Amino acid sequence: MANVSESVAGAELVGHDAHAHPDFLQHHFDTPTQQFNASKLGMWVFIATEILMFGGLFCAYAIERGLEPQIFDEAHHFLNKIMGASNTVVLLFSSLTAALAVRSAQVGKRNLTSFYLVVTLLCACAFLVIKYFEYSHKFHLGLLPGHCFGHPGLSAAIQNGQEVGTCLHVNAQAAPVTPEWVRAVDEEGHVTLLPPRANMFFGLYFVMTGLHGLHVLIGMSILTWVLVKNIRGKFSPAYFTPVDLGALYWHLVDLVWIYLFPLLYLVGKPE
Amino acid sequence: MAADPTSHTHAPHDGAVHVHIAPPRFYWAIFAGLVVLTVLTVKVSYYDFGSANIIIALIIASVKASLVAGFFMHLRHDKPFNTLILLAAFLFLSLFILLTWDDLGVRAHDHGYAQKMSPETGLGAPGGEPMTSATADDVAPEPEGAATGGGHGEKKE
Repeated sequence: MANVSESVAGAELVGHDAHAHPDFLQHHFDTPTQQFNASKLGMWVFIATEILMFGGLFCAYAIERGLEPQIFDEAHHFLNKIMGASNTVVLLFSSLTAALAVRSAQVGKRNLTSFYLVVTLLCACAFLVIKYFEYSHKFHLGLLPGHCFGHPGLSAAIQNGQEVGTCLHVNAQAAPVTPEWVRAVDEEGHVTLLPPRANMFFGLYFVMTGLHGLHVLIGMSILTWVLVKNIRGKFSPAYFTPVDLGALYWHLVDLVWIYLFPLLYLVGKPE
Repeated sequence: MAADPTSHTHAPHDGAVHVHIAPPRFYWAIFAGLVVLTVLTVKVSYYDFGSANIIIALIIASVKASLVAGFFMHLRHDKPFNTLILLAAFLFLSLFILLTWDDLGVRAHDHGYAQKMSPETGLGAPGGEPMTSATADDVAPEPEGAATGGGHGEKKE
């Protein structure tokens, strides 16, 4: 083991029982390489389980789209392609900075790693802000699946304390289980009709992007933890595993969005 | 090993971590490619290619995902077994979705659409022929809340 320890530059050696090793190397691993590869393997297995978890939702999407493609044709016009594309670029850029943070950690540029991690976190915030505007706009249009689905200006009516009774009455008649088309206001403010059961599309939209948004929040927590450890000088070219694995999680968030964006925002007949 | 871009996982055998280190401009090039593909997939969505639209969108998305997984996530220079894990996840996911999708085609539904009936009896039967709207109304009326998850809905008068 002695030759291993000597070769690991920049790491503090802890020695006991004539068994010196770098402080980051846990006892059940022979070498830093073995520990690094084991960590990565574990992370990739975890990523596989994450893909399978989202897979259930993608399967639900495939079923619903297979049954009623016309719902997707009509309803996807209520999603703003420009906002969706902007969010895609923001996430791709954050993936780039996460990769550059790992790269900086690999060559031991600690301050640069911190800088790139901060940029990644700022991009994550920007993503959530854009998502907030998209969500609140849809709430305002009454596109949140549920009791009052399809009632335009529902939240405004509730805020003004008026017409709520009428709203509920209107929606009892235009409820999703009837074959009636549901009234809704599109991006440009035109009143249009949504096919029956269009709430299925918005249900998928909110659950899929909601679960993805939860992953954005978790990813931000992980990267913040990595940032704090980096500022405290825990990483070196010999040991940067948490930076690498934290970035892998962040790339997974990006990976899921790469599929969500076209499936929700772009498919269906163009107008 | 510091800034040497040629350093590689297999090079020395001293037990220390040696990884492939790409230059920053390489990552920027990958990012540029990803942005170009994003613009492309948005542009393409304004044209109507029928059912090919979703195929095109998924192909572009898969190319983007490959770029992210291969280079941002370092799979290209990583242990091949990690790639195998990712591909296995995609394989089983596609089995899950394709077999479910296939099942839909031979199944009778509770809704007024895509229902199948037995030509002899006129009753609903999976694997039968498509129902006419008249028969569909007689045999399988529009279901109440539970089937479509409405719950609060009132039946149409």
